[in-house]
Amino acid sequence: MGNKQTVFTHEQLEEYQDCTFFTRKEIMRLFYRYQDLAPQLVPLDYTSCPDVKVPYELIGTMPELKDNPFRLRIAQVFSEDGDGHMTLNNFLDMFSVMSEMAPRDLKAYYAFKIYDFNNDDYICMWDLEQTVTKLTRGELSAEEVSLVCEKVLDEADGDHDGRLSLEDFQNMILRAPDFLSTFHIRI
Amino acid sequence: MLSDDQVNEIIINVENVPPGVQNHRSSNLSVPAKSGVNSSFGMVSSVSGIDVKDPHVYSRRNDRKAKQLLRFSPLNESFSQTHHSPDLVDMDTPCTSHESIQGRQKLIASLIPMASRDRIKAIRNQPRTMEEKRKLRRMVDREKSKQSRRIFELNCCTQCLNSISLAYRRCKNILSELLNSISLWQKTLKIIGGKFGTSVLSYFNFLRWLLKFNIFSFIVTFSFITIPQFTVGGNNALQFTGLEFFTGAGYFTDTVMYYGFYTNSTIRHQSGGASYDMQLAYIFTVAACLVICFFSLLFSMARYFRNNFINPHIYSRGIAKLIFCWDFTITHEKAVKLKQKNLSTEIRENLSEILQENIKLTLSQQLTHLSVHLVAWVVSTGVAIACCVAVYYLAENNLEFLKSHQNPGAVLLLPFVVSCINLAVPRFYSMFGLVEHFEVPRQEVYVLLIRNIFLKISIIGILCYYWLHNVALAGEECWETLIGQEIYRLLLMDFVFSLADSFLGEFLRRIIGMQFITSLGLQEFDIARNVLELIYAQTLVWIGTFFCPLLPFIQMITLFIMFYVKNISLMMNFQPPSKAWRASQMMTFFIFLLFFPSFTGVLCTLAITIWRLKPSADCGPFRGLPFFIHSIYSWIDTLSKSPSYLWVVWIYRNLIGSVHFFFILTLIVLIITYLYWQITEGRKIMIRLLHEQIINEGKDKMFLIEKLTKLQDTERRANPSSLTLERTDVEEPAPLHSREHEAAHDLRFRRSVQENSPKA
Repeated sequence: MGNKQTVFTHEQLEEYQDCTFFTRKEIMRLFYRYQDLAPQLVPLDYTSCPDVKVPYELIGTMPELKDNPFRLRIAQVFSEDGDGHMTLNNFLDMFSVMSEMAPRDLKAYYAFKIYDFNNDDYICMWDLEQTVTKLTRGELSAEEVSLVCEKVLDEADGDHDGRLSLEDFQNMILRAPDFLSTFHIRI
Repeated sequence: MLSDDQVNEIIINVENVPPGVQNHRSSNLSVPAKSGVNSSFGMVSSVSGIDVKDPHVYSRRNDRKAKQLLRFSPLNESFSQTHHSPDLVDMDTPCTSHESIQGRQKLIASLIPMASRDRIKAIRNQPRTMEEKRKLRRMVDREKSKQSRRIFELNCCTQCLNSISLAYRRCKNILSELLNSISLWQKTLKIIGGKFGTSVLSYFNFLRWLLKFNIFSFIVTFSFITIPQFTVGGNNALQFTGLEFFTGAGYFTDTVMYYGFYTNSTIRHQSGGASYDMQLAYIFTVAACLVICFFSLLFSMARYFRNNFINPHIYSRGIAKLIFCWDFTITHEKAVKLKQKNLSTEIRENLSEILQENIKLTLSQQLTHLSVHLVAWVVSTGVAIACCVAVYYLAENNLEFLKSHQNPGAVLLLPFVVSCINLAVPRFYSMFGLVEHFEVPRQEVYVLLIRNIFLKISIIGILCYYWLHNVALAGEECWETLIGQEIYRLLLMDFVFSLADSFLGEFLRRIIGMQFITSLGLQEFDIARNVLELIYAQTLVWIGTFFCPLLPFIQMITLFIMFYVKNISLMMNFQPPSKAWRASQMMTFFIFLLFFPSFTGVLCTLAITIWRLKPSADCGPFRGLPFFIHSIYSWIDTLSKSPSYLWVVWIYRNLIGSVHFFFILTLIVLIITYLYWQITEGRKIMIRLLHEQIINEGKDKMFLIEKLTKLQDTERRANPSSLTLERTDVEEPAPLHSREHEAAHDLRFRRSVQENSPKA
């Protein structure tokens, strides 16, 4: 095609293009954003698939993420070992899912994982309390927070087992058409 | 046509997400629980003949084509067991790795027969890590090349098709990259979204979308109508004064800007060379613009409807949406803090609303509310009608007024009055909100929108009536140019008023809010009012394109300037919205408004013009014809004389010109609509039944768990020694459900032990 980039082999770029919602140019742009986060750590040549992880502290300084209340959870969900340190694959994955072209089901799946703080595949009361606290930053009192969590469980819990499973969450997202446009990070 | 197996493809989600899916290589104890989970949790069993063989999760596919392909492979892949599992070699227990390998092979098997476009879509939509997706893709490609090598000799045809589709995909990628690189204002929109959120962003996106329409219309009309006219050219004997930019009259009357300047001849440059019939070109170009606008509006509307109105009867004003739909696009620290504060306020309001829901109003209160609503509606309709009457009266008497006042700027009076009405009356309508009481706050927004749109559409309607009824039949020379000038003036005055509003009005409001009455604070961006102004302007442009072919160009410039003006004003004078605004439902409604009253009104107006009105005798491409449509009739007549175009004539006479064809077509469309409606009703019933089934399954599960714990208690009392093996670790910190989890883990562990022992 006449691409002069030396970062990826042609096959690698094709693979990335087929596995994410980005075009070639966007993938290169994202790579340079990733490289800018840690210039000494990230090599400019990925043809040999180096195993490089950018630590969470640097990821959290990105302007798109630095003020997001859920940035730690987002990094944890998409990282290799759940600790927030991301390889290039994780990085591309994250922005691909958060882009506007990802379908609703995929976004709902990852949103569910982000809100599931204790990683038990259910959003239980404790998870909800964590979410509400992060969202309101201490503006609500403890009783208000638990009242809110009870109401959420009342509304969304379909099988009445006291916690939200993935299906309950997806069902609820169906009724929230704004979800597609709000669960979106523009990069 | 639509049978039971189409029913299979919808929303059936079977729970199977095993606990501990995270890549914790250390948690070995939870691993044996994984295999047991899937067999123990209940599954939605044979509803409408769905045969669930394996505990895989079925989920709704977005792509209809992929749906059809996947329907025949019983294992729909996405969300299968193996998501985010570590590399399979590392798994300790043989049964889990066996199942995951099996699952992956089934996934690959289902991916191979798909077309490459659907395969890529399916791979992209997998909730797996990038490494796994790449591995999957490599394996599928390897399998596919193995298979295709075997059938290579037989199917060079498919190879051809494959290479064509590959080339097509590459072309599409290049095109989308190109479009992205020339995409306007990406950075600015990101900043706006970051500071003000998705709802304000939707207004600017709508503006950009309308700009694309106008750019397209301009390119088409310019290339097919204006450029040929330039080659023919005419003289312009009038003088240029600066006032033309506002009045559109004077020097501009005899330029390509208006209908009257265009020739009705067939342009021929060399004798015997290609000829260009200006009449046909004019009518076909305008028709082509409108048809393409029609289809793109239709498709946008359908797409928004499909995404946003899946269950319109479930109105959820619930709190869950507030919690889970946090706006991830907001990136500025202050904006995030403000949003958190606003969210807390909204949650508190929501809580108090829910607590107050049970308060019923007394009969007298209900009656007062109803009568207030009624009075408000009567007043608003009355004001709208009064404005229309005033506009009509003014328009009628405009001519004598113009004769008595020699000032050429006097033609601006009518547009000035119309713009004043458009400025003042919507704000007057907003004041009703202080008096009227709505149970549901969203109703207030919709009622306001309906009143405003009624006002604007009726003003445009009354002006169209005046133009088509009075101006066109008044015997003026070149009435089309006159109408074109009127529309130009209206558009320009509207633009000037918007600029004044942004520069002066909003600025003043900020000064007042910050310095004098500080309790008011900064204002919030009124999205509804601004979008309606855009719709109003676009309606005028669509009507005016026939009379003034350069109008899309003017609207293009206008929108371009408006974007920057509104952006600057937004950054300086506004604060982010305090309430969650449901941007996507509103956008659907706005596009519907753009389509239904606005565009269909334009089509009606132009249809009346073309079929019923007599073109002026001295100017324009249709001079001398009895009706505009006669140009098409004479073209068909000329075609019927030449033998090679008889099929066009046949299509015209028997399909477009015949009543029977349209009757049959309408009947077919009505039948199809009725069938789809019935299917939708059936699916709603099924959704309800499935919902009930889920609840029943939950109850069954609870019941069984209770029974089991009781059994265990009795056993424990009977045999205290043999039960130490039957406790597994409990990992969740939530104390409320720990007992239930323990019991559930016990159940799973016992079941898996029972399963493994007959195998051993």
